[in-house]
Amino acid sequence: MSWKNVRLIFMREVRDQLRDRRTLFMITVLPVLLYPMLGLGVVQMMLTFSEQKRVVVVLNADDLPEKPALLDGNSIHSDWYENGQDEPSRLRILAARTNAGTLAGDTDEATLAADIESSSGADHPPRHGEKTDAELLVEAHGLAEKIATLQSLSIPSEATEDSVTDRMAIQEQRSALQDLVSAEFGESGFQVLVLVPKGYRAAMLSMQDQIKARSEGTKTSDTHIVSVPAIMVVRNSADDKSSVAFARVQKALTNWEDAIRRHCFDNASLPVELEHPARLSYVEVAREEQVAASVWSKMFPALLVIMSLTGAFYPAIDLGAGEKERGTMETLLISPARRIELVLGKFLTIMLFSVATAVLNLCSMGLTGQQMASGIGRGIADTISLEFPGFGPLMWMIILLLPLSALFSSLCLALATFARSTKEGQYYLTPLLMVVMGLTMFCLSPSVEITPLYSVIPVVNVTLLLKGLLLNAPGSGNLVVYAVPVLISSIGYSMLSLWWAIELYNSEDVLFREAEKFDLRLWFRQMLRTKDAVPVFPEAVFCFILILMLQFVAMKYMATDLNVPDPGSSMLRLIVVQQLTMIACPALFMGLLLTTSLRATFRLRMPSLTAMGVGVGLAVIAHPLSMELSRFLVEYQVFPELPESARHVMELMKTGERPTWLLLLVFAVTPAICEELAFRGFILSGLARGGRLAIAVGISSIMFGIIHMIPQQAFNAALLGLVLGLLAIYSRSLFPAMAFHFCNNALATFYSTEPHQFNTDGVFLSRYPDGQLCYEAPLLLLCGIVGMLLIMHMIKVVSKEQDLKRRGLLPAYQEASAPV
Amino acid sequence: MIRVQELYKEFSDPRAGVFRALDNVSFQVKAGEIYGLLGPNGAGKTTCLRILSTVLRPTRGVAEVDGINVVQNPEGVRGRIGFMSCNTGIYDRMTAREMVEYYGRLYGIPEDKLQVRIDEIFDILQMHEIRDRLGGKMSTGMKQKVSIARTIVHDPPVIIFDEPTSGLDVLVARAVLKAVAALRDQGKCIIFSTHIMREVEKLCDRIAVIHCGKILAEGTLPELADRYQQSDVEELFFDLVQRREDEVAEERKHAGSEVQP
Repeated sequence: MSWKNVRLIFMREVRDQLRDRRTLFMITVLPVLLYPMLGLGVVQMMLTFSEQKRVVVVLNADDLPEKPALLDGNSIHSDWYENGQDEPSRLRILAARTNAGTLAGDTDEATLAADIESSSGADHPPRHGEKTDAELLVEAHGLAEKIATLQSLSIPSEATEDSVTDRMAIQEQRSALQDLVSAEFGESGFQVLVLVPKGYRAAMLSMQDQIKARSEGTKTSDTHIVSVPAIMVVRNSADDKSSVAFARVQKALTNWEDAIRRHCFDNASLPVELEHPARLSYVEVAREEQVAASVWSKMFPALLVIMSLTGAFYPAIDLGAGEKERGTMETLLISPARRIELVLGKFLTIMLFSVATAVLNLCSMGLTGQQMASGIGRGIADTISLEFPGFGPLMWMIILLLPLSALFSSLCLALATFARSTKEGQYYLTPLLMVVMGLTMFCLSPSVEITPLYSVIPVVNVTLLLKGLLLNAPGSGNLVVYAVPVLISSIGYSMLSLWWAIELYNSEDVLFREAEKFDLRLWFRQMLRTKDAVPVFPEAVFCFILILMLQFVAMKYMATDLNVPDPGSSMLRLIVVQQLTMIACPALFMGLLLTTSLRATFRLRMPSLTAMGVGVGLAVIAHPLSMELSRFLVEYQVFPELPESARHVMELMKTGERPTWLLLLVFAVTPAICEELAFRGFILSGLARGGRLAIAVGISSIMFGIIHMIPQQAFNAALLGLVLGLLAIYSRSLFPAMAFHFCNNALATFYSTEPHQFNTDGVFLSRYPDGQLCYEAPLLLLCGIVGMLLIMHMIKVVSKEQDLKRRGLLPAYQEASAPV
Repeated sequence: MIRVQELYKEFSDPRAGVFRALDNVSFQVKAGEIYGLLGPNGAGKTTCLRILSTVLRPTRGVAEVDGINVVQNPEGVRGRIGFMSCNTGIYDRMTAREMVEYYGRLYGIPEDKLQVRIDEIFDILQMHEIRDRLGGKMSTGMKQKVSIARTIVHDPPVIIFDEPTSGLDVLVARAVLKAVAALRDQGKCIIFSTHIMREVEKLCDRIAVIHCGKILAEGTLPELADRYQQSDVEELFFDLVQRREDEVAEERKHAGSEVQP
């Protein structure tokens, strides 16, 4: 590979993109202008929004106590708000002063007129389209009446003969009335309705008197104190306007009530401190930057992810599908530049634009946020300060942006190369964005923190690490440790998708496929007609997806069956059924339908005795290693403990006198046959067809891991899958892999069900405090060395064979068995 | 210079199962000669030339350019050929000079030699007035000139033209043909595909008539006229194509009857 060519291609692509007005606009102009514009817009909207006054109707306001006065003219008394004059002005109080229209009273025009005349808010001239005060009051009275009826409609509780039908009727009446009230409230011109009950002031006064009398000892202490009827506050919390108005009213009412309470205490000659008997005081230790950091720590990672993706996507489409569409792709392909140089040059270009987009967006947004916070002033700046994160976090942001952009750039390039046209390329953006947004949203949840497991999941790892670092919480220094796995895994994923892109550049069908009409029927016929001895790559992938989907569907049935008399044995039965129907059947069925040779697809060849021996031997050797590894990983919290339900199931299956043969049948024989047929049979044969065995084994073992669902099992299974895949390819037969699988599972079953049957000697084998067997270091070392040697031997044999095939001395696998 | 031996190329096709685009094609082209591939659209001309330019891999058979196998050393082959077709576009946002320079550098020509070479080519093709014009603003004729300049910038011994005149107006097409003839006179080995008889008659030293993936006849024009007792190239061509089509139809019928007994 020549870096000169990579640089040449990179320079050309960058220049080309910079000459493209659309790209320039998306990457520089848009972020620089967009955020300030958006900021201005938000400020404007807030200003216009806050000017809107909300209407609160208070019925029977005369009955409110004179001291302390809740209302002050046609607004709430400013005493009831902590900070000043601003808040009362946001509400317009329409108070009905007379008692005329009380809850059940009749409201005729005359009394209403009197109402309005006496209410001090009557001088408010209605604007166009608004209801007059009189209309509002009529509505309010109507509503008050209905609400009273609604409350009086209580469901009879005694069980009488016709109570059922009665109850039904009342229920119906209630819900009809409720609908009516809610509809009327929605249409009314007010947002909150306050109903002061009749005789409220008198009740309040008499209560105060009684308290006073009691404290002065003029009355006996056990006299019942008159209780005050409740003020009803009607609102609709589904309506934003109503909620906002209600919040303001509630604030005032709470403070008002506090004042009354203090007055009561005073009357009862009780100390005011009694108001808060259990004295509480809250201390805030967060520094201002940290509060700001928590805002940024949510915004920046999300923005970084989205922006580096969109920044990569549009140039990628132009460089990949666009080049195909304009016909320059072929020109480039016949130049002496190697495919890898082309891909790298394009990849670096895309990455440059991705990083630039993300950085520009962040800068513009950060500056706008700061500007806005200082501009619109005290309200927001008091609660959250938008101080920019410090130098350290900013550096981290840049460092982590690079692997993130690399991943998106290579992925987008591969997708764009795969697409036939720019239009098709655009279609790929939506699913990509959905997946990435989903992962980002998951990370923004406050309870999610970076763990060893998350540190190797793409996108999630970078987002979580960045969130942690920006949050700058105490102890976040330890997070830096995670930077290593995050960077390594991100680079790994980028390399994988780059490799995919290079593969696409090497594949002539992708480069020269023409947009042709897709016909499902034709396609299906073609698939059945052109079948081969072994499945093709997409068929293998489809088989895996089918198995995964079936597992997903089965999850429901696996979980609900815990209530039967003997859940353990029904669980065992379910496992066998699941293995047979959801793993073996899809593979066998697809094998029958899509291939011509079951023997070649499922590797049903007689293995050599050596191969069988290697299979069994490796299983025995792998068992202690895998057991200790998974124990170690759980202990060091790389993986979470088994979920409670899973452990419960395990316990259930262990308890009860179950014959050993049954356990072996369920846990060793069935998986050995079913899983091997699917994963080392159909799937591996399909994946290995192109002759890239290492990749086929790798992918099949990852797939094998994925269907094991629980993280620690999945990891273990993926590792064993590597050995199984190698074994199958080395022996050209499925049986050694089955033998390995059987032995491994059988040993694991014995290990967990009957640890006491093994004799421990302290050197090779000992016991953990919990009774589990512990394989000691010498044994592990021995197993490791022998295992390594065996694996190296297999790799040597396989690579020699591959070499012969490549030089044409041995027929390639599919050519040998395919019908000519 | 070019040697093609028993070349097969098969594509998978939703309708026909496997579609054989090239069926046992063999020919050779020497230096200083223009070899014409004459055939209707879909005959397999482009497939054949794409294999020679290494962007497609043959299913079976050997193709060599200047003694180098296209499968074993595709980079080596690409350095020795110039390829131009109606599909090889030019970049919209690059000037003529930048475009030719870019490819010259990709071919690894030293910078000082490259500048001299570019000036030379621009002289020959009379394209100095468009040297700083962006590709998107050029007329078809100008674009075609840039394409030719790009094809020959590294002075390749073998040049492949895949229907270079398709879609061009008469004047531009004439200029292209003149350029091709000039290159032959420089001793280049040229392979030229077309479906236009006039071009073949005017330009080609030897021709092969190709249809449905098979070479139907090969030789110099007088030889062919002699062999098939048909002095009119057009008539000769239609005869051959018709015969091949009948053959293919026969084969299909045969294959169909095998499937349904």
